[in-house]
Amino acid sequence: MTLAAMLLLVAIGFCAGGFGALAGVGGGIIVTPLLAIYFGLPMHQAIGVTLLCVIATSTATSSMYVERHVTDVRLGMTLELATTVGALIAALVAHHINRRTLAVLFACFLLYTAGSLVKKAWDSRYTKREEVIPDYTPQNYPVGLAASLIAGGFSGLLGIGGGPIKVPVMLLFMKVPLRVAAATSNFMIGVTAGTSAYVYWGRGDVRVDIAAPLVAGVFAGSLLGARISPKVRSFYILMLLVCIAGWLAIEMIYKLLTGGFQ
Amino acid sequence: MSRQDVAADRVLSLTLKFGAYMAFALIVAGLVLQFVASWGSRVAAAGLLVLLATPVLRIIVACLQFLRERDFKYALVSFGVLTIVVLAYVLGIQT
Repeated sequence: MTLAAMLLLVAIGFCAGGFGALAGVGGGIIVTPLLAIYFGLPMHQAIGVTLLCVIATSTATSSMYVERHVTDVRLGMTLELATTVGALIAALVAHHINRRTLAVLFACFLLYTAGSLVKKAWDSRYTKREEVIPDYTPQNYPVGLAASLIAGGFSGLLGIGGGPIKVPVMLLFMKVPLRVAAATSNFMIGVTAGTSAYVYWGRGDVRVDIAAPLVAGVFAGSLLGARISPKVRSFYILMLLVCIAGWLAIEMIYKLLTGGFQ
Repeated sequence: MSRQDVAADRVLSLTLKFGAYMAFALIVAGLVLQFVASWGSRVAAAGLLVLLATPVLRIIVACLQFLRERDFKYALVSFGVLTIVVLAYVLGIQT
């Protein structure tokens, strides 16, 4: 690999990691389409590499959240029972799904995420940050576990973290405060992505030459992002991410219609 | 939140930090070294393996912390998650 390509991958990883830490959405959502569209990687390989980026984001950021006691490790561990089962099944099945179908599913999820980000950005304009975490007891475990199973399945299938599914469910159905839900989801995605990553790694769908520079960038980006996140207005970051996600979804759909992703 | 929880959080956080920085250092070193030595890319691969080990490590550490707090319910939950993750590893190699 040339030095230029390597530095480009480091830069992509840096942006993905930074977005992940600042917007609370794993950078995986932009890494997979970038690799598949512009680097010509087959979908399975793009997903395999992205899973490592998701683990990196989770490990780097959750070390800080756990230290600040925002993460609910007990809740996270319980829901992981479901996410890991979903991730394992999906990762085993993903191998037998053809690349175009995976690309279609991914484009749909990209649009869903863009939509949920618009809502999040809109809400962030007038909701204040919770300074002190209120007392809470997680409720409705069956709904939480069911959503986690689905989130884990998407993770194994598409290489994403599944935060856009888990966070709203924890918030609305389990009555967990937003900051705790986001931090707990962050902690969980590392384990979920790890489960699928073992299957992809074992199959040889993780390209070391591409993953190494990306992961290095993700680490740097998410450590910096988590540090500066209290000082940044999330509205503009979220809107920027919506534009990028929307653009990538359009590119993917265009490429699908013109016969790409074979 | 009890004081034991605070101590447990610190141990878990340090584990995550250790894994993150170790993987980061190995990967960056490998990326630089690969331009001067042929084994550089192996160092980067080792960094990725350390990264892959962190999910398992954080479950084991959380499980041990729950055992130390005599919270057997959540120790069992952690052990269940660990079993599934190890199963994924075994299946991943075989298929």
